[in-house]
Amino acid sequence: MTDVLTALSHPTRRAIIELLMIKPTRFLDVAKPFNTALNAITKHLKMLERAGLIQREKRGREVFLSFRGEPLKEVAQWVNGLEEYWNTKLDTFEQHFRDIKEKEENP
Amino acid sequence: MKIFTKSVEVKLERTMPANAAAVFDAWLNPKIPGNPWNEAEKVVLNPTVDGLFYWTLRGIGHYGRFTEVSRPSKIVNTWVSPNTAGEESLVTVSFRQDGENTVMTLVHSNLPDTQNGRSHQQGWTYFLDKFLKEFQS
Repeated sequence: MTDVLTALSHPTRRAIIELLMIKPTRFLDVAKPFNTALNAITKHLKMLERAGLIQREKRGREVFLSFRGEPLKEVAQWVNGLEEYWNTKLDTFEQHFRDIKEKEENP
Repeated sequence: MKIFTKSVEVKLERTMPANAAAVFDAWLNPKIPGNPWNEAEKVVLNPTVDGLFYWTLRGIGHYGRFTEVSRPSKIVNTWVSPNTAGEESLVTVSFRQDGENTVMTLVHSNLPDTQNGRSHQQGWTYFLDKFLKEFQS
């Protein structure tokens, strides 16, 4: 998950993701809107690929890059898991006070 | 879970059948079931302003520092775990006396890459907002 957060922490990588969300795109077309050296774009793409946010697909002689949303599901699940964690904790904490009260009322 | 324009936070509210001071004290006592420090394998806890805590469960360490300790109404501490990507998230616990009970509110906020001041399109929450419905369906 840290890979995903790191990958999305850079404006150029977020812009690349925005582009690929629209449709799968050839590498050179991905690089075109950016005023950056090609090898810099390649580095950004590698980081996004490592985080699982993009994938490559060979179509004939050309390589297309496309967006993968699955890693974001992991982030969403983590936030849901955190909510579940605190819910369970507070259930137990509340029960502790209910037990005390019950003992006081029914000694 | 609530997803806001600028941040993600988890907010929970419970009514505890005890007075605010008792609930406040129980939250900071590792022997009381249900607080974050209970059942940990190792606990270091110094609940004073700028005091630190550390606890570990199944070998996973959590640590942070207390930024507000106002008995019996509020405890604020930072919260760092492997999942917060090295950044400090924030846990705010408020206690409000309501008759014989205490309304306890817990907010876990500032989750990674959601610090105040960053714009909507500058963090993963933007993408999370966009795709959450799809993942939940």
